[in-house]
Amino acid sequence: MLQRSRQRTNRLWPVLAAPGVGWLLLFFLAPLYVVLAIVFGQRDPVFRTAVPVWNPLQWDPTQFTYVLTRIGPDGVYFPALVRTVVYVAAASILCLCIAFPVAYYVSRLAGRHKGLLIALLIAPFWISYMMRMLAWVNLLQNDGLFNRMLSFGGLFDPNVDWLTGQPVVVILGLVYGYVPYMILPLYAGLDRLSQSMLEASRDLGANRVSSFVRVTLPMCRPTIMAAVLLTCLPMLGDYFTNDLLSASPKTAMVGNLINDSVQAPGQTGQAGAFVMLVLLATVLPMVYYVRVTLRGDEVRT
Amino acid sequence: MPVPIGSGPNRRQFLQRAAILAAAAPTVGAFLAACSKPAGTQGSAPSLTIAKPDSPVKWPIADDNKPIGDSLPPEKGATLKIYNYADYLSPQAIKGFEDQYGVKVEVSTFNDGDEAITKLRSGVDFDIYNANYTEISRLVTGNLVRPLNHSYIPNISNVWPSFTNPWYDQGWQYTVPYTIYTTGMGWRTDQVPADIGKLSNPYAALWDPAYKDKTAIIDDFHTAMAMVLLKQGITDVNTSSEADLKMVGEQLSALVKATSPKVTITMYSDMPAGQIGLSQMWSGDVINAVNYLPEGVGPEILRYWFPEDGKGLVDNDMLVTLKGGKNPVLAHLFLNHMLDPAVAKENFSAIGYQPPQNSLTADSLVAESFIPENLKNVIVKPEYFDTGYRTLELDADNDAAWHNVWNAFNAGGS
Repeated sequence: MLQRSRQRTNRLWPVLAAPGVGWLLLFFLAPLYVVLAIVFGQRDPVFRTAVPVWNPLQWDPTQFTYVLTRIGPDGVYFPALVRTVVYVAAASILCLCIAFPVAYYVSRLAGRHKGLLIALLIAPFWISYMMRMLAWVNLLQNDGLFNRMLSFGGLFDPNVDWLTGQPVVVILGLVYGYVPYMILPLYAGLDRLSQSMLEASRDLGANRVSSFVRVTLPMCRPTIMAAVLLTCLPMLGDYFTNDLLSASPKTAMVGNLINDSVQAPGQTGQAGAFVMLVLLATVLPMVYYVRVTLRGDEVRT
Repeated sequence: MPVPIGSGPNRRQFLQRAAILAAAAPTVGAFLAACSKPAGTQGSAPSLTIAKPDSPVKWPIADDNKPIGDSLPPEKGATLKIYNYADYLSPQAIKGFEDQYGVKVEVSTFNDGDEAITKLRSGVDFDIYNANYTEISRLVTGNLVRPLNHSYIPNISNVWPSFTNPWYDQGWQYTVPYTIYTTGMGWRTDQVPADIGKLSNPYAALWDPAYKDKTAIIDDFHTAMAMVLLKQGITDVNTSSEADLKMVGEQLSALVKATSPKVTITMYSDMPAGQIGLSQMWSGDVINAVNYLPEGVGPEILRYWFPEDGKGLVDNDMLVTLKGGKNPVLAHLFLNHMLDPAVAKENFSAIGYQPPQNSLTADSLVAESFIPENLKNVIVKPEYFDTGYRTLELDADNDAAWHNVWNAFNAGGS
């Protein structure tokens, strides 16, 4: 009897998983293949638009190698790639510094205001990312509110051109844009932190600091990893924050390279090559993350 | 229902999977871009005929793409679809046409010609397209445009005679002129004390570190790179010389180091807002900028320079009717509508770009206070089209070489 119901549920779960698997195949793997077919594909001789080649035996690596040979330390794309890593790392660290205390407070210390605070945390999602960035364009304009504030009513002349290629502005723009995406997963993780474990550590003589460092932090490491990944991966592909707040080649990131070459005739393949590079680069931290969490499972069992 | 213990995803697995999904996020935009329907190569010749001022072209008219017949009635209750740059067509002009013919006009917009052509190839049913003459060879060769029946467009007599038989379309078989403009330098006198126009090489001011973080160049590979060539004294702005292009690349790197310019097409609003003090600029955007000045700032702070002898970049845009359009008669009538002197002038005041109308001259426009005296040189004179340099359609290899230099510059690399 038990055996039969096992079998039945064994068949049930694949059926339930089918839509998700189908979705992934259709909207992730298939498009990925399209990108490959374009990277290694041909170009229309007149319009120079990309013509995908579906048969891998006929693939032409010209465009891919064009990009590959230019991403080395002497290559023209190298500075942009380094910049991307630096900007995304800086923005992620800043995001974490802001998001962790907020999430910690809301999940553990907010008390009866918790509901309200969660609603406020979700509020930024009601306004489109684009609108929030455009608001900054207004604030940071030369005669915008920010410069006027800095001038303390005309006492000083700050005369800072915030919107013409300042790396700091781009990084802070990324932080501002993505910090809500970091707070929510952190909140979800911290909220489920076992209270009894913390009480045990206090009972066993740990003070606040050491119980935070030796119990809370290790327990929410996977959460932090997930939150950082959830924000820094979209940041890697971001180009419009840069376009709106800087538009200078001095702050171009890999997202801008992709955007620029997608729009240039005959260079869609190069854009695809950059996409593949970003994908490869993001697979590494993903593998690390999966390994860390798996090891966590082993330790627990 | 018995659920096997431990078979549901726990929180950790959920987070793992969420992160895997997020890993795909950066690539989504590019997927979408890459997925735009690739068109086949059917029937397109491997090489393009390139029209030049000294070798004018009369385009062929394909047997399956003849002009429409005479005196057809306009389509009733139709929606005329126009494909244009944003803010490049007066709402008033559209309204006038809608009221006159009892139809709806729908404007879709693009950011640059490359994007537009890619979309046009995907089989959209736009009726009218705002084209540049650097696209005409591809448009005709790719069978995207519809030849005109001149009987619907009597207003052609209002435009400069040179545009009734232009070198890029002899006998105006496919095109009517829309706007004309020069590309020079614009600046604000309150941010840039020097008179840029009086410098021995005004273009070189963009490389002057005194204006760091205050400058911009036009986000169009050909227009921007042609400016670099002119600055270096090379007047072949369609060069295929490897040495020239290498030099342009080096100059652009030097430009980033010296002044770190914004690469944009929104100088018409960024300069009035004070973000940009000195910029490579289209003449039409200088006129446009006047409308964007904040309260209390007068147009007298704006200046424009274009070589007085006309030896600079001159351009024109044109309107074409598309083969895929469902309303060919209305499309012809709309072209005629835009060539009406009153409509053209109103459109000029709305978008800042001048139509090549016989009735509009620099003196008449200043006299009517249409433009301020200090910006008189934004008006394009007919003789500029004899002396100026024109960016032409590039053949595929050369186009790729230009784009590679441009993309390297946009990457901020060396």
